[in-house]
Amino acid sequence: MDAANPMTAAPPLAQRSRVRPSRRTADRVLRTACLLATLLGAVVLGSILLMLIVEGLRGLSPALFTHPTPGPGSEGGGIANAILGSLVLTTIGIVVATPIGVMAGTFLAEYGRTSKLADVIRFLNDILLSAPSILIGLFVYTLMVRPMGTYSGWAGGVALAIIATPVIVRTTEDMLRLVPGTLREAGAALGAPASIVIRSVTWRAASAGIVTGVILALARIAGETAPLLFTALNNNSWFNANLMGGIANLPVMIYQFALSPYPNWQQLAWAGALLITVTILALSVIARVVIKPQRAR
Amino acid sequence: MSNAPVIANGQTVSGSAADASAPVRIAVKDLNFYYGSFHGLKNVNLNFHDRQVTALIGPSGCGKSTLLRTFNRIYSLYPEQRAEGQILLDGVNILDSKVDLNDLRSRVGMVFQKPTPFPMSIYDNVAFGLRLYEKLPKSELDDRVESALRKGALWDEVKDKLKQSGMGLSGGQQQRLCIARTVAQRPEVILFDEPTSALDPISTGRIEELIEQLRSEFTIAIVTHNMQQAARISQFTAFMYLGELIEFGPTNRIFMNPEKRQTQDYITGRFG
Repeated sequence: MDAANPMTAAPPLAQRSRVRPSRRTADRVLRTACLLATLLGAVVLGSILLMLIVEGLRGLSPALFTHPTPGPGSEGGGIANAILGSLVLTTIGIVVATPIGVMAGTFLAEYGRTSKLADVIRFLNDILLSAPSILIGLFVYTLMVRPMGTYSGWAGGVALAIIATPVIVRTTEDMLRLVPGTLREAGAALGAPASIVIRSVTWRAASAGIVTGVILALARIAGETAPLLFTALNNNSWFNANLMGGIANLPVMIYQFALSPYPNWQQLAWAGALLITVTILALSVIARVVIKPQRAR
Repeated sequence: MSNAPVIANGQTVSGSAADASAPVRIAVKDLNFYYGSFHGLKNVNLNFHDRQVTALIGPSGCGKSTLLRTFNRIYSLYPEQRAEGQILLDGVNILDSKVDLNDLRSRVGMVFQKPTPFPMSIYDNVAFGLRLYEKLPKSELDDRVESALRKGALWDEVKDKLKQSGMGLSGGQQQRLCIARTVAQRPEVILFDEPTSALDPISTGRIEELIEQLRSEFTIAIVTHNMQQAARISQFTAFMYLGELIEFGPTNRIFMNPEKRQTQDYITGRFG
């Protein structure tokens, strides 16, 4: 009785099964390979997160949110100026990018369905979507920092807006395309011009998706470092309200402090990294919650 | 005649009798329609009479929806589609390029196969068309919305939840909401494009009753795959096949005594 080997197992079983044993072996091999690959990815990601949480939590303290970044060699300090700067920069970025992105996405989905111009714009937008972000930093450096003669919060905000815009264009277009054509026909059939159908029917129908796109764009620019290196740079002092001159921000702060020889700076970099990660995670969760009722329909 | 169901060719014809003396509301003359290079309608000539229900029947792809979609020129949303010939609505050719499409569409309403409530409240759905071209005071708007919902046989079900989303209604209620939305604009003609094919039998029955009631005020054209439905609710029937109008006449005659062999075959279920 060799029950473990299907080839020599009881004949009724062998006759009943139509699956060749080699097929079953291949299935098992593939399944194991997939499982191992998943585990590998999860372990790497998990250990990064774990290390971030452990090191970041050690650096968390109330001073983090009340004190500006410390000078070289000085003790303690916080990252309050960097948190505030990051908030201001991402706000500028998203405020500039949202109207442009939503309008452009609307053009692509509603007005430009059959136009050549829309094809070109869509293609360029896809390139911009995957352009290295350092390139965008250099672009804004040439466009704004050099002529103005100074790094500035405005330049940082513009760089982030350029990164956020194609994300919003793409999601807006995709979400508007999911709106059934019959809804547009129904609007037109009541004698509504296209502009009214778009404003009061299709935008509304796609609103959850468009908001999700904006939130995801926000998550994307919250952690961008390269474009800020050339534009907003950094600043160890408190926030400069007219946004001229370098502005402290979390990503560049992390970059500089992590490379520094001072233990308190490194500790602050960990704490900042944890803060950004948690923020992005929260934004992604919010995006999922927002889009959920739409999927359920 | 009108109340006695007549069974012929296996169909029950119970709709009220056709009134061929009713004035012609829509006259289709030598209509040809193209989807790009595909010739979708071929030399169609047909009259739609005032306050009569005209059913368009025929197998899938025969052009009945295409014909319906020319009456409010909804096809012109798609640049590759075009119509040639004449469609006279009260004597004016609506295929003329000078015709204001939005004005035309407020006079010729349309109800679609799938219910198309807008993502807004029940009230706003019905008021949508009213707010487009008329500046009505709130009280009058309320009256028009209520009257439209009554005509849509929906008022009693929604009068306490007018502020709730139209998307939350059942399929049959959504379709009646769409009918109310169309009726609210006081069009002259209402086009129905298979309005019950996505609905259960009970909802279908209610929509059919509703169409029968609306006939007293509106000229109605309805595309349907359901021959019993055509027989039940229409006064005139047009049978189409492969883009051509094969036969047109009073529903009773089309179902009981069709002149063409193809009509006979389709009605008795031999094809289609």
